[in-house]
Amino acid sequence: MEVNNTFGPVDIATSGLRANGKQIEVISSNVANARTTDVGNGKPYRRLEATFEAEDDGISGVNLDEIFPDMSDFHRIYDPGNPNADEHGYVAMPNVNVPIEMMNLNIATRAYQANAAILKRYQQMVETTLELLK
Amino acid sequence: MSKTNNIVDFLEAGIRTEMLRQKAIANNIANLETPGYRRIDVRFEQLLARALNSPGAVDLSKIEPQIHQPQQTPVNSNGNDVSLESEVGQMVKNTLRYKAYIRLLNKKYSQMQLAMDIK
Repeated sequence: MEVNNTFGPVDIATSGLRANGKQIEVISSNVANARTTDVGNGKPYRRLEATFEAEDDGISGVNLDEIFPDMSDFHRIYDPGNPNADEHGYVAMPNVNVPIEMMNLNIATRAYQANAAILKRYQQMVETTLELLK
Repeated sequence: MSKTNNIVDFLEAGIRTEMLRQKAIANNIANLETPGYRRIDVRFEQLLARALNSPGAVDLSKIEPQIHQPQQTPVNSNGNDVSLESEVGQMVKNTLRYKAYIRLLNKKYSQMQLAMDIK
């Protein structure tokens, strides 16, 4: 994204809003699938994680770099009655920790709010400048 | 319109463009969930810059803001490429520009008024 001088902060704050919005989408997918034992191939849901990257060197906005699967081990719970249980009665559950997701959600929400605050404050600043034209 | 460009002509063209752009943004936000919708944008500054770089005076009434589909933003699963955050950012910028043009126009008119009031 090209950053225009006067409205640079608007573009940057917008990119922050978009990236954090996407992050919240990833977290909601993790929370919704916290107990999904089959994603179609017989394996449990694998937690997703999003990484950010700067758009450019120097003053720039942020972009969602990539969304990649968390390759940590699946949780195993003892549940012999479950149709997905192995011969020992264990079921592989997704590697999602809901409390951790909630913490990440808090961080992402706060970051979203911070970007919205910057957008709003910058708007007020430009309006202050425009007051001089009255 | 005469071939001389005064500031009122420029401001008028700017205000016209921002009005249209506001409509385009409203349209984009209204179609936030419409499957297959691609966002529209208004092209004016590039056309104006090109006209100003060419020799001779510019007839601003001939430069109309154009609506186009950028088709560059990433498309999500239902073929729609509108991002609410981007549209809000665009709207903030648009409103500030609009405000600046209106204030400048107002200033210009009060200057004229001042000149007429001298006795």
